[in-house]
Amino acid sequence: MDRMTQHAVLLLLGAYVLQVAITDAHLAYVQGGFRPFLLIAAAVLIAVALLGLLRAWRGRRAADPEAAHAHGAPRVAWLLVAPAAVLALVAPPALGSFTVARQTPPPELPGGVTATPIGPDDPGQEYRTLPLAGYQLRALSGDSSAFEGRRIRLTGFVSPREGGGWYVSRIAISCCAADAIGITVVVDGDRGDLAPDQWVEVIGTWSPPMSHPSGGWPEAVIAPESVRPIDRPADTYVG
Amino acid sequence: MSSTPLPPAPGDVAVEPRRRGSRSGDVLMVVLAAMAVLHFVRPAVFSEPAVQAWSTVFVAVCLQALPFLVLGVLLSAAISTFVPASFFSRVLPRSPVAAVPVAGLAGAVLPGCECASVPVAGSLVRRGVTPAAALAFLLSAPAINPVVLVATAVAFPGEPQMVLARFVASVLVALVMGWLWVSFGRGDWLRVREGHVAAPGESRLESFRSAVQHDLLHAGGFLVVGGLTAATLNTVVPRAWLDAVADSPVLSVLVLAALAVVLAVCSEADAFVAASLVGFSPTARLVFLVVGPAVDVKLIALQAGTFGPRFAARFAPVTLVVAVLAAVGVGAVLL
Repeated sequence: MDRMTQHAVLLLLGAYVLQVAITDAHLAYVQGGFRPFLLIAAAVLIAVALLGLLRAWRGRRAADPEAAHAHGAPRVAWLLVAPAAVLALVAPPALGSFTVARQTPPPELPGGVTATPIGPDDPGQEYRTLPLAGYQLRALSGDSSAFEGRRIRLTGFVSPREGGGWYVSRIAISCCAADAIGITVVVDGDRGDLAPDQWVEVIGTWSPPMSHPSGGWPEAVIAPESVRPIDRPADTYVG
Repeated sequence: MSSTPLPPAPGDVAVEPRRRGSRSGDVLMVVLAAMAVLHFVRPAVFSEPAVQAWSTVFVAVCLQALPFLVLGVLLSAAISTFVPASFFSRVLPRSPVAAVPVAGLAGAVLPGCECASVPVAGSLVRRGVTPAAALAFLLSAPAINPVVLVATAVAFPGEPQMVLARFVASVLVALVMGWLWVSFGRGDWLRVREGHVAAPGESRLESFRSAVQHDLLHAGGFLVVGGLTAATLNTVVPRAWLDAVADSPVLSVLVLAALAVVLAVCSEADAFVAASLVGFSPTARLVFLVVGPAVDVKLIALQAGTFGPRFAARFAPVTLVVAVLAAVGVGAVLL
């Protein structure tokens, strides 16, 4: 790989990282707070490439053959094109129902926890919005008193379930998409024509936990009163 | 490129390198053209859920590691360009046995993850630092720097002994590996690539820029190898087998060690992953925290690139064994 190609490869990668960092695209791969670091990395890549190009251009004008092709880079550097190519061609979206379907049981809950109150209804509404993980934790705690006479609103994407019902689900990441963990709550009802990965709002009431069809671990359940498709949020992951 | 074999004109030495130069440029043009065509054709395989999930994880691993790699490369270029070799022979004890603990504890000052420490350790060896000390630094820096320790404390609220255990076990791994290298290491296993060699009359700034470019292309390429491996294992190996073994103390340790190797999570975030593995014993989770920054697929690829495959093939397995033993031992005492 000669010098000009090296500059071009770094510029290509830097441009794609910059594009991912400036737009909301990075939210499909890393935590939102990581954006400044991506911007710095992109700036360094682009600066190194541009300074190199500038120097090569000056060197060519000065008819200095050394500057144009000093020494090569190893073959492995070609792989740096791969992330740019994958971003350009596949433009992979945030993880969804495919990942949830391959998931493991939720972390085992410490037994005998008394459910904390879920707080008042949303302003002007007759339901309480809960994060999926918060609902899951309380619904499996063995003490359902917090849900008595209450309607709950959950949001997430649709994942298919074997053995009846479907899941409203979200993906939690702690660092990047490589450590994704699915959070699921069974919606005890007919999925109708909702496609997997469609974002929905489910309003319903607590229902006793069910067993996972193949693994047998307990799963939190909501009995739906209304299910409504919603727009996919910019940041689909929960931290 | 012309295929007519023209006899080279006498004195026309510039032809050969120029032609070689245009060849890699041609390859890049072909790659870019293929990308443009595929972009418009959009084969159906690109929208397969498995391909998309693989791509997301691959891009995520690369993006997550890139800023740390850039930091490490900048530091390593600064060491090569601005720090004279005499500096290290002054601050480090002359005897390798004594240099190992000094370098190991010096790892606490590099606030990065494992992607940053590999290029820095490579430039230390190039600068004449004894390999045993550079390897101790390589292993300790990603595990015991303040950012990682704070992240661990946040991930395990109310369990400060986990932070202490991680620190102690990781330092232990760095020291043992450094001393093992002093006793058994052979110089010909190491193949430290020549870094950028400053051309005569080159300015300091251009020398720095060239060193950064060289390391970025080199280490960056190996980072992508690691990203490809991690994404493939992540998508292909079902995580379900993890949970079948959480109850067995021996198996759970081995499985979390294996998970740390294949998951290749950044050391600044692995504490959160460990904290989410609630079904496992604290010792098994400590194993995950100690093995991850010392051995994982991304790191093995980077080490093979910086120190040569012969080195990585010996260093990584031994480090894995030492890390598991150190974590189990420290866990038995502290957790």
